[in-house]
Amino acid sequence: MSLTAAPVDIRSTDYLIEARDVVFDFGETPALRGANVSIREGEILAVMGPSGSGKSTLLHCLAGILAPKHGEIRFSGQRVDTLGDNERSALRRDSFGFVFQFGQLVPELTAEENVALPLLLGGLRRNDALGRAREWFERLGIDGLERRRSGELSGGQAQRVALARGLVANPKVLFADEPTGSLDSLTGELVMELLVTAARQAGTTVVLVTHEPRVAAYAGREVIVRDGLVSSLVPDTRAP
Amino acid sequence: MTRFGLRLTLRGGRESLIRLVVMALAVGVGVAMLLVTMATINALGKQNARGAWLATSPPAANGNPQLGQQGTSEASSSTIDPLWWLVSTNQLGNQVIVRVDVASAAARSLVPPGIPRLPGPGQFYASPALAKLLRSTPASELGDRFGGTEIGTIGSSALPSPSDLVVIIGQSARTLAQVPGAGEITSFTTSSSSGGPDSLGTTGLQVVLSILALVLLFPVLVFIGTATRLSAARREQRFAAIRLVGATLRQVAVISAVEALVAAVAGVAIGFGAFFLVEPALVHVPFAGQPLSAGDLSIGLLDILIVAIGVPAAATVVARAALRRVRISPLGVARRVTPRPPRFYRVLPLLAGIADLAFFVAVGRPTSSNGQIQAYLLGFFLIMIGLVTAGPWLTMAASKIMAKRTSRVPVLLAGRRLSDNPRGAFRAISGLILAIFITSVAVGVISTLLIDHGSTSSNTAASKTVTDQFVFGPNNSMPSVPTAELTSLRSIDGVTGVTLVYVAPSDLRTDGPVPDINGLGGDIQFGLASCAELAITPALGHCHSGAALATLGDDIAFMPVTKSVTIAASTTWPTAHISQGLKGLPVQLIAVATDGSASAIARAETALDRAFPFVGSPTLFGEIGTQTTQLLTALKTASEVVILASLLIAGCSLAVSMAAGLSERKRPFSLLRLTGVPLGVLRRVVALETAAPLIVIALASAVIGLVASDLFLRSQLGLTLRLPGVTYFVIVIGGLVGALAVIGSTLPLLNRITRLEDARME
Amino acid sequence: MSVPLTLLGLLEREPSHGYDLKRDYDTYFGRSKPLPFGQVYATLARLSRDGKVAPGEVEPGDGPDRKRYAITPVGKQEFETWLAEPVEPEPHLQTVLFAKVVLALMLGRSAEQYLDTQRAAHLQRMRELTELKRQDSLIDALLADHGLFHLEADLRWIDMTAARLPSLAMEVVS
Repeated sequence: MSLTAAPVDIRSTDYLIEARDVVFDFGETPALRGANVSIREGEILAVMGPSGSGKSTLLHCLAGILAPKHGEIRFSGQRVDTLGDNERSALRRDSFGFVFQFGQLVPELTAEENVALPLLLGGLRRNDALGRAREWFERLGIDGLERRRSGELSGGQAQRVALARGLVANPKVLFADEPTGSLDSLTGELVMELLVTAARQAGTTVVLVTHEPRVAAYAGREVIVRDGLVSSLVPDTRAP
Repeated sequence: MTRFGLRLTLRGGRESLIRLVVMALAVGVGVAMLLVTMATINALGKQNARGAWLATSPPAANGNPQLGQQGTSEASSSTIDPLWWLVSTNQLGNQVIVRVDVASAAARSLVPPGIPRLPGPGQFYASPALAKLLRSTPASELGDRFGGTEIGTIGSSALPSPSDLVVIIGQSARTLAQVPGAGEITSFTTSSSSGGPDSLGTTGLQVVLSILALVLLFPVLVFIGTATRLSAARREQRFAAIRLVGATLRQVAVISAVEALVAAVAGVAIGFGAFFLVEPALVHVPFAGQPLSAGDLSIGLLDILIVAIGVPAAATVVARAALRRVRISPLGVARRVTPRPPRFYRVLPLLAGIADLAFFVAVGRPTSSNGQIQAYLLGFFLIMIGLVTAGPWLTMAASKIMAKRTSRVPVLLAGRRLSDNPRGAFRAISGLILAIFITSVAVGVISTLLIDHGSTSSNTAASKTVTDQFVFGPNNSMPSVPTAELTSLRSIDGVTGVTLVYVAPSDLRTDGPVPDINGLGGDIQFGLASCAELAITPALGHCHSGAALATLGDDIAFMPVTKSVTIAASTTWPTAHISQGLKGLPVQLIAVATDGSASAIARAETALDRAFPFVGSPTLFGEIGTQTTQLLTALKTASEVVILASLLIAGCSLAVSMAAGLSERKRPFSLLRLTGVPLGVLRRVVALETAAPLIVIALASAVIGLVASDLFLRSQLGLTLRLPGVTYFVIVIGGLVGALAVIGSTLPLLNRITRLEDARME
Repeated sequence: MSVPLTLLGLLEREPSHGYDLKRDYDTYFGRSKPLPFGQVYATLARLSRDGKVAPGEVEPGDGPDRKRYAITPVGKQEFETWLAEPVEPEPHLQTVLFAKVVLALMLGRSAEQYLDTQRAAHLQRMRELTELKRQDSLIDALLADHGLFHLEADLRWIDMTAARLPSLAMEVVS
């Protein structure tokens, strides 16, 4: 098997998300020192790297959570980094879904209300929102848990609720930051399985930050973030 | 351990410092308020002392029993001759004028404080404020009452307040000796607690203010408690770490106590500082209706010691008590569990209280006054307890409904959080509910009384009619009223009619029973009036058509506070028959109807005073005594001040508890923001959680207070609630706005706490 | 464990006698199993026959190991190809990986890039196994998991080694 380092063509406009020479630092500490990545629509991309490498920061920049100090971020061809706070917030609300490692469910709400939250924010009526939310419970194997509070759910159940919330509004991109980080292997695999199935069914693009290879293996390709830079090697496949 | 605790407190990092500062501020506010109250009470005491001499009353003299005793400092009566002495009150509109008539037969006699010598007959000394009033008011309305010339002003060292209206009039000893109620004194009262007449109402005010200070303490204590609980979760984490290293619960308690003590000491310093800053402005606050003089506002050494030592001690105790309820295990705070919801039975006391009061409205009040007191006290007590116990349940129920129906995210989130933990939400404002309830009841009852019985009421006939009852005359009447007087009375500008009420002779026959409108039962003295005259003084009632004479009950003369004055006007008196004519019958009361203008009323009162000096005291019909009016007005003002202060303190309390709760919400809120939830939504959530309970509970307790006062007025006094004036509503709304502003000022914290850059996964 | 290629790598560094080659091999790669002299010479002979190494001048002294061998361009080509190519991601390949890393360091190459390349290959294999797992057969899934866990272990080692490269380089070169 031979490997070639394929040059990443960032001038092409059929990428859904692009980052070009992105620089970001937290005060004195540099996090990204010129990161480049391009993501096609419908891809599932794993972002790997040791802790402290800046991979979460990269995800935050791609998702419009943080505005880079230098460089460009584009989503569907439009510049994201130059948008104001409110506009980026609206972008996240309308086009992106998120799954974090833990702690993202609102403890005061039931599971179905948590899932319905993005829909309610979008202006949907309560009953319609809850109806759409409930469809996801059976899909992800957590039916029966609709009325439970987050404190009454196990880790795997909570992550599936979070996944449902991330996907309920049919986002163009799902950003997942260590979604299985606090789960045991079997549960983690279950969650990844469901995530990938749902994403593929809807054609959702997925950006998945993880340090675990078995989780990254669910993606279609991976990039490595090291010391604030992104390296991407594309092996050409050969019949085994 | 103490030293360690001290180090931990002072060097514990920024968050510890913030907690310390907030606790210190809370204690500071409480201390400042305590000091203000103490200073005010002291000032009133000093005023009282200055005016003690006005409470002098002569021992039993001229056949009439007197209140009070001689002054405590007995001057040797051999060198100073006694002084003829009479104190009465007069009024002009809403203002009280204290009138002192003095006379002496001897060359050297006791001289009242504040003046260089006794005024002779036809002379008088006036207080500076009265002198000014005399100059600006026509003599026919004021000056003529005193007769004579002003020869000087009374010194301010003898006046309780610089704006008091006091006049010392000289009479001849012969005149004064014949006046019922006058007597000889050999010294002046020097202590205001002697039980003498409280002409200016300051003693009563002292008592009232002390009670109100206690009422205000509820919100302050709650505030201090909330501040002490500030970021308890964080402190629990810190303490858990200490416990893990092996500290015992007792040692942890010591650390907590040290922290509270440091904050309290700092708070006391802040409170004293704030007090001294605010002191000059206090002069302008109308606690007693009169401004206080700056010199009077002071705090004594004992006061300082009590506050400086007592408050830190109390804070330490509170901190220890608060800690006792929290079990700090070495593993720190366990996973958050939804607390048990409050049960419905908590509402029962409130319902029982309201039912109790309503019952007595429907059925009528108990006949004995003991029974009445029991019934009302029980009702009010139940309502007060009921408000505090029902609070959490009501919060939970209301917020559950709110959350169940809504499609809007802030309402959903806020409603859920409130219904999850209604006790926590209610705790911060529990002091408020009692304060507002009590003061609203007070304001409701007082406003009604003042409107019904006071000169503030608008168009009733009673408020335009001046009556002079000849209580001090022989047999409570005047043998006759000269026609000349009648004519001159009728000719006063603004007077529309004059009625004489005669003493009914023994051969009186009445067609039918005489209505008892003042509820005092048996009549002391039936009255007789000509129907022609009655027709032009409608405040006293009407005749049957065609009657020439009518029999009146003594209601006219004795109209207590407990009865509505307007009832008299609608009464029809039965027809009277007597053998002789009215001429020659003694007169018990004279009534003068006016056009209602202040100057006409003043003129009528002045003319009556001049025509019948010392025999009676002209007032508006049915008006409660001027002292009482002043006291009630002062009480109402003080209540409104308490409402305002309570609302503001509740706002601070809520702001503190909200800030404390924010650190708990940091993670879910930050993550929500990451997913694109706008900051505005989160702000609305937090604002709703704090503002909604505040507004609802404040308004509810105000309404319940007014309703309770209505029930009380109806069943006890037969009156219906008159709405309090604009000031009350302005204060409630203004206080709420102020509280909301305080809460709103802490909202920017939310932005800082949930900053996107800080959203690390820890 | 490919002995010929390893010897080629050692020769790439500098021409050596057979004795030196055995000594170096034992030091770096033969901890538990030293290389027999016979195997050394036999391998050298075969490599020489295939034109990948060339014997140099015979030096004075006794014994058959007095020849000094040097690597030829052909040999060099073969070695470079082998080095750059990732190993098939199969279990029990640590020894080969290890050899490659050490050799790369000896030669002053960037072992890091090599490790990256290997990692990408591993991940690709893991992707294939994961796709397999998502089919219905449980037995296939179990087998795939077995492979995945081993590959993950390899990747862990790769990460550790990557972190240790600087110190390792110092130790190897000295």
